[in-house]
Amino acid sequence: MSTSLLTPKRLLVSSTFHSQIRCYARKESGMDPKKETIRRSLYPSNIRNKATPTGTWRPDVEKALQHAIPSVQAHDTIERAWLLYKRHIRKRREAETERKFECMRKAMDELAGIDSHLYMEANKPENPRARSPEEANLLKTMKASEARAFDARVRGLFPRELRVPTDTPSRAGWKYDWKPFYRPL
Amino acid sequence: MSSKTLISLCRGNPSAFSAGRRTLATVRETSTTYIPSSQVPISHQTHQKPITKPKLLTSIILNRAPILTPTPTPFERAYYAYQARLRRALSNPFPYDFYFKQGSILETRFTLEERKRERIAFGREFGIADDLDKEKAAANRAAVEQLAEQEGESEEMMARVHPSDEARDYKSLDRKGKRNLYLLLQENEGIWRFPEGNVKKGELLHQAAQRDLLAECGEYMDTWIVSRNPIGHYRPPRKALSTGKPQPEEVAFLYKAHILAGQARPNPETVKDFAWLTKQEVESRVSEYYWHGVKDVLSDH
Repeated sequence: MSTSLLTPKRLLVSSTFHSQIRCYARKESGMDPKKETIRRSLYPSNIRNKATPTGTWRPDVEKALQHAIPSVQAHDTIERAWLLYKRHIRKRREAETERKFECMRKAMDELAGIDSHLYMEANKPENPRARSPEEANLLKTMKASEARAFDARVRGLFPRELRVPTDTPSRAGWKYDWKPFYRPL
Repeated sequence: MSSKTLISLCRGNPSAFSAGRRTLATVRETSTTYIPSSQVPISHQTHQKPITKPKLLTSIILNRAPILTPTPTPFERAYYAYQARLRRALSNPFPYDFYFKQGSILETRFTLEERKRERIAFGREFGIADDLDKEKAAANRAAVEQLAEQEGESEEMMARVHPSDEARDYKSLDRKGKRNLYLLLQENEGIWRFPEGNVKKGELLHQAAQRDLLAECGEYMDTWIVSRNPIGHYRPPRKALSTGKPQPEEVAFLYKAHILAGQARPNPETVKDFAWLTKQEVESRVSEYYWHGVKDVLSDH
């Protein structure tokens, strides 16, 4: 019984390099070829005597690995070099963040020494749901499109227009003409 | 206070480049040593109690965030290629018959491209078509070319380098897509500085910052002030007035803001010129004392 389950199904396409793919599903006679393909991909090979992600290596895995990895020592050296490189980047970034934080801390200490009211106000956490009475009045007079633009900027949250860096710039480039839109603070 | 500055002077300045809280604590003291002799700050040297509170100013660091991702270094590219080779060697065989219809042109195209990728990854011995005669191979390639023509040209990507980079247009906001750009204004006397302004009575600092930015740089910019907290402070050097009395102390609190759209239209009465500059370019234009007060707040990248 096991032999029939494990018989490899030879595929007939000529211009390929993976000519043999084993699968678990038993071949049934008179089956629609499309359904047969789906069954074969749903039930992959069940040989789990090797440590692979889902049970099947490519047929020339040893040869491919020999070409991919120069040697064990080379692989270890590459890994260590990469970790060291990432460490350099991380340390540089952490040093910059620490410098910036020190500046913030000293500025707040300075402000506390100068004016305690301004200091307390600067330390107040922003409530995203709060809306000042001025804003509420403005909302009543605005058009729907303006109201949407107004809502997009929520106090204490990042604005929606702040773009993520991309690999290539946008076709239009930077938007130089922007209509002034009053937003009360 | 004066003894501390003396000690820091004796210690010299080797620790400016190493990290650590102890060395950062001396930055403020060492910054006072860079004052030109003509402008002597009176505040730090004498032990007088400040009778009046210092005058408050707000200064805005208006930042255009990077538009482009950083370019991978050659080492990164080599490492990613190496990892891709390993993953290709260890991964399952691709179930191409599930994804492509047998005998279709798409399958032919995929096979050709996949063989090419195998050869690039592992070498000339891999990715060889088995039992295919030359006529059939030529026919396959022709079919694939025809398919490419039929599909039409793919969308062309814009170049990462903008024309304003080559033209050195310092007012352009498309310049230096990978870097952080900061707005610098040139006063009528020729000094370069960040946008600055007073704080009115009853106004909070971040509200003053917003108002000052609009007053100095125009309303035609979509800006966002990041938070209520200042990110740094700067004490301009005090000059003795002609009457002999010392000018009141001034402290400028720096606020960070982002520009999201628009362009600066500075007020021509107070400002002669403006520029969007990276951190290194700011250093080259600004006075040494000002630079030491402001440099730690800017991003390196």
